[in-house]
Amino acid sequence: MKSASLAIRDNAEPEDVALFSSFITSATFWLLFTTAVGLLLSFKFPYPDWATSPFLSFGRLRAIHTNGTFYGWASIALSGTAIYVAARTSGIGVSNKWLAWLSLACYNLAAICGTITLDLGINYGDQEYREWVWWVKIIFLLGVLLSGLAIVQTVANRVEREIYISNWYTIGGFVFTPILAIVAIIPAYQVGLGQVAVQGFYMHNAVGMWFTFLALGITYYALPKLLNRPIYSYALGVLGFWTNLVFYPVIGAHHFEFSPLPWWFQTLAIVFSVGMLVPVWAGTANFALTMRARGETVRRSYALPFIVVGVAYYFLGSTQGTVEAFRSLQTIWHFTSFTIGHSHATMYGFITFIAWGGIYALLPRATGKQPSLLATGLHFWFATIGVTAYVIALSIGGTIQGLAWAAGNPFIASVDAAAPFWVARAVAGSLMFLAHIIFAYNVYLMTLAPGPESDHWEPPKRGKAATA
Amino acid sequence: MNRGMNNVWSLVLVSAIIYGALAILMGVVPGMVLSRTPPTVGSQPYTAQEERGRDIYVSEGCEYCHTQNVRPLKQDEVFGRPSTAGDYAYDTPELLGDHRNGPDLTNIGGRQPSKIWQYIHLWEPRSVVHGSIMPRYTWLFAVKPKADPGDEVVPIPSGFGPTKGVVVTTTQSRDLVSYLESLKQVSLTKRTGK
Ligand code: HEC
Ligand code: HEM
Repeated sequence: MKSASLAIRDNAEPEDVALFSSFITSATFWLLFTTAVGLLLSFKFPYPDWATSPFLSFGRLRAIHTNGTFYGWASIALSGTAIYVAARTSGIGVSNKWLAWLSLACYNLAAICGTITLDLGINYGDQEYREWVWWVKIIFLLGVLLSGLAIVQTVANRVEREIYISNWYTIGGFVFTPILAIVAIIPAYQVGLGQVAVQGFYMHNAVGMWFTFLALGITYYALPKLLNRPIYSYALGVLGFWTNLVFYPVIGAHHFEFSPLPWWFQTLAIVFSVGMLVPVWAGTANFALTMRARGETVRRSYALPFIVVGVAYYFLGSTQGTVEAFRSLQTIWHFTSFTIGHSHATMYGFITFIAWGGIYALLPRATGKQPSLLATGLHFWFATIGVTAYVIALSIGGTIQGLAWAAGNPFIASVDAAAPFWVARAVAGSLMFLAHIIFAYNVYLMTLAPGPESDHWEPPKRGKAATA
Repeated sequence: MNRGMNNVWSLVLVSAIIYGALAILMGVVPGMVLSRTPPTVGSQPYTAQEERGRDIYVSEGCEYCHTQNVRPLKQDEVFGRPSTAGDYAYDTPELLGDHRNGPDLTNIGGRQPSKIWQYIHLWEPRSVVHGSIMPRYTWLFAVKPKADPGDEVVPIPSGFGPTKGVVVTTTQSRDLVSYLESLKQVSLTKRTGK
């Protein structure tokens, strides 16, 4: 069962291993909980009269699903992995471990309080991904700051000379996100249409400056590590970093095309949405070229297939986003379920798959405990087939919805026309949820399950320690 | 290139400055400027009751299925005239929305003026629109064995009501429907000048 490459174990400090394991088990809990909610939502399309108590109603659960997957699952999984990567690439242990523990506590507390308040109908407004009330957002922000500080201090104390490219990306994410959070939380300048402008900015920066940067950082570490070969081009990685930083913040208004936001402001967002092709294609090319002619290694690895799918969806989902931004196509696709397909292509196909790839790549090396080969295979195929079916179903269904509106049919005709595709989404979602249960079992095997061997950690020699 | 960035604190500082500047330029400044948009001539602030209804709309997440943003496109003509900047002056939190699982509601007060229809529809959307996927909001109403004087009884179509008793409105449903009624676009040509 165990292939040679998987038996490698990092020489990580036991407390760093405990830290990494705790982040991943927390994240896994949130993945299970929030996608169970997502699954319930998807069944409410064909069965709207099902689970109709206020606490299970669509409008409240939807925000729990989106905020929970973002700030419970993806943020905790990526932060935990990023902290571990920072320690590995710096050749030392995590510098201030209590910062990281406190951060994990903040993340969990924010996700719990956020879930409860949203379910009681207490929110900041139905503004996507910032529905949590201000004090919950501040708890989360504290979590980001603490994790960020733990990473920056670790990298500052590194024994390696250069800052490894993956840390560029993670540190970037941890620097941008507090700035973004503060912009989003301060209410003073957010009245009426002004709030719409801030919302467009916030919504896209949350995905672009936080999840994207962390996921790319993890890919830049895991890929060379798993392939045992350096990243194809350091320069392309740096180019991707700066172009992402400069282009991403400008594209937010493409969520409000044809709205009363100033027309030139929308046009600017569309132009920069095209500009986004530069970092996306540079990143994808860099990853693809790093993997070139290593098909056999990919097939034998637990983690690499997830990263391959993640990179493929990074390319497809982001390129789709550029295409969606054109005004001619927005007239059909905007407001339809097509955009829900896009969100899952990116946040699921890209971000969630990279998180899985990172976890399967690094967690067994940290704990010395392997996932089950069969379970990993099932997880991979259920999730891949599930999300692909999800995206295809909603891309077709959304297009039909948009065409029904353009044809001038009564509104309910668009609901009837999209209905079969919403059913297909619920079926695909069930497959994805099944994959998450299997993943949770694997996380158990990699962390809490009794280990096959005793801890063999030895403190590194003073001075120039070997990189794990 | 990377030599200059080998100090982690300079990486932190440089990226914070660049992103901070972009955040001000693309988030804060547009927010400040557009927050000052004057209201469309003739539009009125919400009454206290409408405001309470609007809060229910926000906490129940109606925006995840309903936009309040009529685009200058042919397919949006059924919902009213194109929305203009001044239409949102009284709308905080904003409710433009990104999803149209249901119709746009910018002008629903004008398009569907019947209060009774709104009550029945909120109690059970499928009792009036077969095939609707909208949730029912039964908890905004009260079920009583018998209506008391002053109660507003909702005439639920048979088969959709409670097996026993009558459905009456509550403050919550009255507030929400008064908000929906208030959603009427003011005409851009007709001035309500004195
Ligand atoms: C899951 C999506 C969904 C949610 C959530 C939702 N609606 Fe709806 N709504 C619809 C659909 C679909 C229709 C069209 C079919 C119908 O009339 O029921 C609709 C229709 C309407 C209409 C009639 C519009 C017209 O043009 O005739 C009103 C008014 C309305 N909804 C109000 C609300 C309010 C108020 C809320 C929140 C308390 C809400 N809706 C929540 C999906 C939703
Ligand atoms: C079992 C797996 C999942 C299912 C069944 C599912 C289902 C759903 C459903 C039904 C919606 C509401 C769609 C609508 O309003 O029309 C939704 C929205 C959303 N979900 Fe999921 N989801 C799943 C996993 C995830 C994961 C893991 C993430 C992120 C990491 C995610 C991110 C989102 C986002 C961002 C939205 C809002 C999309 C938008 O407004 O454009 N989902 N999901």
